[in-house]
Amino acid sequence: MRITAAEVAALSLSIKVALLSLVVTFPLGLLVGWLLAKRTFPGKAFLNTLVMLPLVLPPIVSGYLLLILLGKHGFIGRFIYQTFGIEIVFSELSVVIAVSVISFPLLVRGIVTGMEAVPVELENAARTLGASPIKVFFTITLPMAHRGVIGGTILGFSKSLGEFGATIMVAGNIPGKTQTMALAIFSAVHLGEDVSVYRLVLISTVVAFAAIWLTERFTLR
Amino acid sequence: MTNSTKIRLDFRKRLGGFTLEINCTLEAKVSAFLGPSGSGKSTLLNCISGTLAPDDGEIVFGEEILYASAARINLPPEKRRFGYVFQEGYLFPHLTVAQNIRYGQPKPRKSSAAIDVLEIAEFLQRYPRELSGGQRQRVAIARALAMEPRMLLMDEPLASLDSALKERIIPYLHHIKDTFDIPILYITHAFSEAMALADEAFLIANGTIIANGEPHRLLTAPTAMPIAQLTGVENTLFLPVTASDKARGLTLLEIGDQSLAIPYTDIEIGDIAPVAVRAEDIIISLEPDLSISARNILKGTIQYLDVKSEYTWLSILVEWHHLAVKVTHAARKQLRLQEGSEVYCVIKASAINLLWD
Repeated sequence: MRITAAEVAALSLSIKVALLSLVVTFPLGLLVGWLLAKRTFPGKAFLNTLVMLPLVLPPIVSGYLLLILLGKHGFIGRFIYQTFGIEIVFSELSVVIAVSVISFPLLVRGIVTGMEAVPVELENAARTLGASPIKVFFTITLPMAHRGVIGGTILGFSKSLGEFGATIMVAGNIPGKTQTMALAIFSAVHLGEDVSVYRLVLISTVVAFAAIWLTERFTLR
Repeated sequence: MTNSTKIRLDFRKRLGGFTLEINCTLEAKVSAFLGPSGSGKSTLLNCISGTLAPDDGEIVFGEEILYASAARINLPPEKRRFGYVFQEGYLFPHLTVAQNIRYGQPKPRKSSAAIDVLEIAEFLQRYPRELSGGQRQRVAIARALAMEPRMLLMDEPLASLDSALKERIIPYLHHIKDTFDIPILYITHAFSEAMALADEAFLIANGTIIANGEPHRLLTAPTAMPIAQLTGVENTLFLPVTASDKARGLTLLEIGDQSLAIPYTDIEIGDIAPVAVRAEDIIISLEPDLSISARNILKGTIQYLDVKSEYTWLSILVEWHHLAVKVTHAARKQLRLQEGSEVYCVIKASAINLLWD
């Protein structure tokens, strides 16, 4: 029972998309997490709600909203299409966007939890010792929040790997193009390809198990 | 102190229902702010260090304006170069002692006078969690000194230590005073620390300075008036503790050659207890040998006698302390009280309150 080319394509797309998503969301997550954990500003509650929304909305709904926004006639999609001639929906890019939106709250949650636990008094002490706010962030806040940051990153990454609902809405289920692991399993079940389902389920389970184990290792030492 | 290290404070800061209002110039090598917790001491230090912005006013160090509301100047803490020693130490837990000390150093260097003075060379490679309370506080002081500050701000650096440890750290503070040519602002609620270290002390209560001066003189001078206005209690005394008996519920204070019993407090023997007595809680007697429950019968002389419409006010000199006493006209007449009369002040221990501990 060799793994098929289509399955390899789905698995590698999932990993590629999750990594690309991480590259984009990690710096943004640090910024947003720091804002939510350490700053007070008008609209903070709104920003928090906006970031956390995909966590409570059914992924299908998040995906539908993205479809409306990113479609050729959507608010953002039309602009991109007219300026760059690129159609976002049903492309690999749309998979990246979908998994980013869905995984972002998990990433930010971990970062916020980590950073909130860093006493502001220690950050102030660093300031009195001559450190600029940026130096304080990289030498005090971030190192002291590292467990929350790593935990959020691993959870967010795993969520990206297995995202289904939003992806199928914005990106469709095009084998070799937008078909990720989760979508491949969905198709295999529908087509009754039991052996393929077992293999993909086994791979997913191993990946999920490893992610949770790594999170525990780094955050609950 | 030269003009270049003089610090001028003139600002206000509201925090909740509390207002800190400070107007003074610090010129001594070591200035101490002395006051109860909640009097605004830490807020004061945070405003000077730049971690908290006042509401208005100005803070000037030498010729340099650190904060001025009118000119919209507020220098960030990292530009002020004031070493800050916190009550809780606030060492960075993820860094070793050596890394903590290097954190604020302008140029990285192996040895530092701060490491020598505070004798911490032996645990440079340890983490803060591996140190005792006293060691941690010594590292915190060394870290603040290693940044080569223009001034040292110390917020109750000894408050978290037990008395034996305090005794051991105070010599280090003296050493710092002698070794480093920078002004020190020392905040404490303990008179002994202010008296041991400070050249000038500022008494602070409810967010304002109520008296200032050379520490020893401050404690014996009749500072009662401004404090009385604040607390509503006419008599405030700062007296050293001579004995304490928890079982009997009493602490004895020394007032010249006499002694004053107050309800038990855990202020250490030798330290100063700030106490307050209301003028109407003092009974005047002509006889010292009374069989009564009151614990205190203090001998004194009436210095002034002021007949007001409702009461007669007496100012009685007990040793070198003035006690304000309120009596009725009838009592004055019956006892034939007049200026120069020798009298006994009878005070229940329970009528004496600690201003703070």
